[in-house]
Amino acid sequence: MALDQQPEEKPPLFPTWGYWYALVIAWLLLLIVLFYLFTKTFS
Amino acid sequence: MSPLDWTVLIGTLTTIILYGVWKSRGQQNLDSYFLDNQSMPWYIILLSIIGTQASAITFISAPGQAYTDGMRFVQYYFGLPLAMVVLCITFVPIFHKLKVYTAYEYLEQRFDLKTRTLASTLFLIQRGLSTGISICAPSIILSSLLGWNLYWTNMIMGGLLIIYTVVGGTRAVAYTQTFQLIIIFSGMFLAGWMVVHLLPPDVGFKQALQVSGKMDKLNVIVTKFDWKDKYNIWSGIIGGFFLALSYFGTDQSQVGRYLTAKSVKESRMGLLMNGLVKVPMQFLILLIGAMVFVFYLYFRAPIFFNEAQLARAHKTEQGPALLKLEDQYTELGKVKQQQVKQLAAALEAGNNAQADIAKKELQQTDVKATVIRTEALSLIKASDPTADTSDTNYIFLHFVVNSLPKGLVGLLIAIIFLAAWGSIAAALNSLASTTVVDVYQRLYNANASPGHYLMISRLWTLIWGVFCIVVAQFAGSLGSLIEVVNVLGSWFYGVTLGIFLVAFYLKKVGGTATFWAAIISEIVVLVVYWIGAVSFLWLNAIGCLLVLLLAWVFHQFCAPAQPREIA
Repeated sequence: MALDQQPEEKPPLFPTWGYWYALVIAWLLLLIVLFYLFTKTFS
Repeated sequence: MSPLDWTVLIGTLTTIILYGVWKSRGQQNLDSYFLDNQSMPWYIILLSIIGTQASAITFISAPGQAYTDGMRFVQYYFGLPLAMVVLCITFVPIFHKLKVYTAYEYLEQRFDLKTRTLASTLFLIQRGLSTGISICAPSIILSSLLGWNLYWTNMIMGGLLIIYTVVGGTRAVAYTQTFQLIIIFSGMFLAGWMVVHLLPPDVGFKQALQVSGKMDKLNVIVTKFDWKDKYNIWSGIIGGFFLALSYFGTDQSQVGRYLTAKSVKESRMGLLMNGLVKVPMQFLILLIGAMVFVFYLYFRAPIFFNEAQLARAHKTEQGPALLKLEDQYTELGKVKQQQVKQLAAALEAGNNAQADIAKKELQQTDVKATVIRTEALSLIKASDPTADTSDTNYIFLHFVVNSLPKGLVGLLIAIIFLAAWGSIAAALNSLASTTVVDVYQRLYNANASPGHYLMISRLWTLIWGVFCIVVAQFAGSLGSLIEVVNVLGSWFYGVTLGIFLVAFYLKKVGGTATFWAAIISEIVVLVVYWIGAVSFLWLNAIGCLLVLLLAWVFHQFCAPAQPREIA
């Protein structure tokens, strides 16, 4: 069986790994927004 | 250091070594020695990844970076979470399902032996030399601050961890890193709490943040794009992404950590959690530096934080002029203390107009102080042309040694050793695995017993440990060691990442085209650096893109590669 045809292990909490990837990217975006507000608030 | 500090320091280091040796039981073959039989849960993978990346310099240098340049350095890590996602999608499933010991094994299965050998050789050169320098960098700072002998500091910094790394392999490395990080985070939290606690009674955390922000130290996000500016959001996301992808995807010191996971799922969770926690972690470390900056507005800051270097300059003919400048700097420090109190009072009262006036006055005084400091740096350089006039790495430890209570100083010094040990132990383990698996077993002795390979692996861990200490003993004369490490990485990272990206994404390109593309790209990278055409940070991108381009071009002229079954 070729590599990319092997079944994927299910991730914890979410139905697919795509949700985890989206969470990491969303968390990064949230941090950037919070850091931006932090910079503006204290500058 | 006080007897209590020595007790805490020696006690902490001894505990880690004993813990490492205790965790070393049960090694029987390469699987257990280099992969811990692929048994690690995700949280150990996470802490091991963090412990490998966070060297002593991370904890010494980052607060100093915030002190001098503000918190914008955190943007450097913005590309890391994105790289974690790409690694989880592409690299991790392939490495796991091929059951490789090293990342470079995959290159033989995808390309051929010569490409695998080239990539592993580039890794051994780069990681071997940079680990030696990683031993020396914190040793120089500690020996200078505490008056220790550099030779023996290097020996302890790079030597004691060899005991548990040789005996216990990957398992000992991962579990000691976990224990080390618990101590490191506890100590850093205490240091952060203490710096706020040591401020004048009427200055709380909120006021400290306001003062720091007004002095432009809380500049976490810089949106203006500038090719020459290393730390803005654009260079952080784009440049940081390529750097993190090459470091976590092709450097065996990191690949070796997540290969020990018991499944693809555990590897992915460790990496994704790293993507979630790394940026906030760096933010908090930098915030400590911003608080140290406020501390030194209220209390006397030396004109140069490397006081051993300053003392040497005092003994030369530049000494009298230097003393005069120091007096002027101290007087300006007293003026700043008054002005910062006015600024804090205005901010507390919510009087923005008064706060702006106080800020401008404080900044004007700061500019005068900077001019005097620059003159003093010129005198220090004149007194010793080999002197490093950057004291960023000395700021945080100067605060620790001179301002923290007894016991906590010993703990913070121990943290520097533990942080160094975590990354050095992982580097030695990865150097040994690459040497044994990619060179010794593959090229010289493919049919020995498991016990023989285990013995050879331990021997090579020891040999690399000794090699790195020897490099450390000579590295002191190389100037700015952090930059040397970064330059060294930039020579090789881009090309290595290029090889892996060809393997993953240009599936029709074969080994010969990739091998020669990598050789030519490496030569071009070294020539570009040698003629000084661009800043070394760009070498990563140049090397990577050149390999991709040349491999594709050469492929057009090569005989079609035989399809290789990877399953």
